[in-house]
Amino acid sequence: MTNLSLEARGIHKSFPGVLALQDVSISLRGGSIHALLGENGAGKSTLIKIITGVHRPDAGELRLNGAPVRFAGAREAISAGVGVVHQERNLIPRFSVGENIGLEHLGGGVLHGIDYGKIHAEARKWLDVLELDLDPRTPVSQLNVAKVQLVEIAKALSLRSRVLLLDEPTASLTSQEAQVLFRLLRKLRDEGASLLFVSHKLEEVQDICDEVTVLRDGRNACPSRALAGLARADLVRLMIGRSEQIPDWPRRSAEGAPPMLELMNVSTSLGHTSVNLKLRKGEIVGLYGLVGAGRTELAKCIMGLHLITDGDLRVEGQMRRIGSVSEAIYKHGIGYMSEDRKQEGLILTHSVLENAGVAVWRKLANRLGLLTDKAVRAHVAPIIAGLEVRTPSLAQTVGNLSGGNQQKVSLAKWLAAGVRILIVDEPSVGIDIKTKAHIHELLRRLADEGAAILLITSDMPEMITVADRIVVMDAYRIKGELANDRDYARMGKGIMALIHARDAV
Amino acid sequence: MKPRLRLWLGADWFGPLAIILAASIGITIFDPSFLSPFNLQILMLATAVNVVVAMSQMIIIAVGQMNLAIGAIGGLAAISFAGLMQVWSFPPALAAAAALAIGVTAGLLNGALIASTGISAFIITLASLSVFKGADLGITRAQPFYNIPAEVKALGDTTILGPIPWLALPAALVVAGMWRLLNRQKVGRYILAVGGNASAAELSGVSISRTILWAHGISGFLAALAGVMLVARLQLGQPSIGDDWLILSFAAPVIGGAALSGGHVSVFGTLFGVVIVAVITQALVIFRIDPFFVQVVLGLLILAAVGLNRMREVRFAGA
Repeated sequence: MTNLSLEARGIHKSFPGVLALQDVSISLRGGSIHALLGENGAGKSTLIKIITGVHRPDAGELRLNGAPVRFAGAREAISAGVGVVHQERNLIPRFSVGENIGLEHLGGGVLHGIDYGKIHAEARKWLDVLELDLDPRTPVSQLNVAKVQLVEIAKALSLRSRVLLLDEPTASLTSQEAQVLFRLLRKLRDEGASLLFVSHKLEEVQDICDEVTVLRDGRNACPSRALAGLARADLVRLMIGRSEQIPDWPRRSAEGAPPMLELMNVSTSLGHTSVNLKLRKGEIVGLYGLVGAGRTELAKCIMGLHLITDGDLRVEGQMRRIGSVSEAIYKHGIGYMSEDRKQEGLILTHSVLENAGVAVWRKLANRLGLLTDKAVRAHVAPIIAGLEVRTPSLAQTVGNLSGGNQQKVSLAKWLAAGVRILIVDEPSVGIDIKTKAHIHELLRRLADEGAAILLITSDMPEMITVADRIVVMDAYRIKGELANDRDYARMGKGIMALIHARDAV
Repeated sequence: MKPRLRLWLGADWFGPLAIILAASIGITIFDPSFLSPFNLQILMLATAVNVVVAMSQMIIIAVGQMNLAIGAIGGLAAISFAGLMQVWSFPPALAAAAALAIGVTAGLLNGALIASTGISAFIITLASLSVFKGADLGITRAQPFYNIPAEVKALGDTTILGPIPWLALPAALVVAGMWRLLNRQKVGRYILAVGGNASAAELSGVSISRTILWAHGISGFLAALAGVMLVARLQLGQPSIGDDWLILSFAAPVIGGAALSGGHVSVFGTLFGVVIVAVITQALVIFRIDPFFVQVVLGLLILAAVGLNRMREVRFAGA
């Protein structure tokens, strides 16, 4: 094992309430493309942030070309030759391609200005390396996503990065554009660069990667090893593991219960096509898919935020057009618990009482339209108590509660509003295991009491723990459906098979 | 020829320039005295000071912030300039240098507070507006300084050539300097980069705090320069100098196509924005409309300019 370029050993990292990485190691070699795999929440992004100097590890060490290094920030990692192409755009849109690439060393003084000829000629060199036929004077804002991605890579190269981390670089590319990118990555590898490739798409990984590290629940599911000899099924098994503790709850069936929410051949303005979905009273239907499959977007269409352009939406058997969120909540009793509780779910600077009560203010306001704290308190307090929200008082600011308790408050909001159909989006992101289990029990209890729940999650064990039926979505289409038999290995395989099934339609 | 035309049509300064030409032609048809040397001189005088005011705000818009204190800084610099000459008999050049230094210091103070605390520029400059204005009123007891040296007065009301007033000279230098700064100097490009995408700029090795300091220092310098120019033009050190700058300082860059979110401003667009305001003010006089309505027209113009820019951006995104 010579020419180790970047190595992380025994990395530990914890955030308040969450142990993100435990004894994680990875070793990247020059002249190789290394895949980093894992489910959402497995610790991939934390590991990347540690390697690129954004976070500091609590324990463990980083070695670059054999020598121990400590990065005090992203800048230091970059100047040490560790470049990263993030998912989010890191270019300045109004500036030209060349100026973006050369922003670090624009030159020019008081008397003689910046020499754009020189900057664009320099940029041309790096674009040529990528065989990118692009005028360096073009403003970045005029490029499509794929080109922007390639320009970012050119920029990373111009900083003489020998280690290049690519975080889901193909997420917004067409397969053709992805092929161009892959050709380039192979070329860079052959020239001795060390590449770390993060992707959810296993075909791509098997296509271009030489080595692999799999993370699961913040630990190494396998040490860094050659990819050769690992079949796709082996990768899936490593990613989802077998040791998952699925509580031994009885199977439930809502067969014969009245349908609460039905989508029939629905198309939306966001690009969903022929979506069929049925949600019965007392049933928890899981909607599984990878990031970008269109699940949250579908939820937002149901809530009336975006248009349903074709097909029928039925609530309790009645054809409905839902024009706005307030209509969805107050007229049809549909609630949506956002995956992004800090941005969309809660008002962090307001109290528990105000947050949990916001959706019932309308109902509780007296004839003059006035609202008394007493009325809200009487309505909300039992629900908060029932959910065992740990808060010193109802007056506590929600921002001061732990993530799990915040999530319970946003759940309380919908219970208080008396919704009968609840869409729950990634309920346990950033929540510790105990609270997660509690939230799972709560969802089951709500369903037992008659609520219809649509659970959106990328967390496979969560899906298999909670859902009665699992519907799989990919690329804004429903790919199929599985009855959940709570056998983890079998369900995991079944779901993956559905996602990767070439369009059966 | 055709691509060049397309380039012009897409430039930020093209719309405002077209409005100026159209308005001038319209007004001249109605009243040919609009193009008289005297009237042109008044137009240029109004534009000279206002364009420096507008640039002082524009550089802060470029970095993605706003500076509510430019008027207060300008006022403080103006009474310092006049006061140093009247009370301590400073020679005008030295008094002007001191006033500009006060402006730069005030700007750097704003920048340092914003960069070090991370509190929004709106809040910081709202507070410093009050501090600077209070100092201005405290020092002067709200009384103007009347004894302005003759050479300073001459600068404010004589012309270089034909209708071109002397005050147009510093204004022209400022416009040229700002264009060069924002298009050919590292500092200017970094200001636009931070305004356009601060995290990307930082990852490219741009120091965000130093860039913010630069922007506010330049802004303070320009506000002070406008204050000094206004003392020459009004022929007295009025403590109320700067009180009415704020709306114009935002209006001109916005009419000129600036993005208030930062990262994009147009020096010539801003210049033409100032000229439009001057032309409209003149037009109201010529058409005998109450000049107090200037504010109404200015407000409508801002709305129209923002709407137009939004439309252009939509088209731009579609291209």
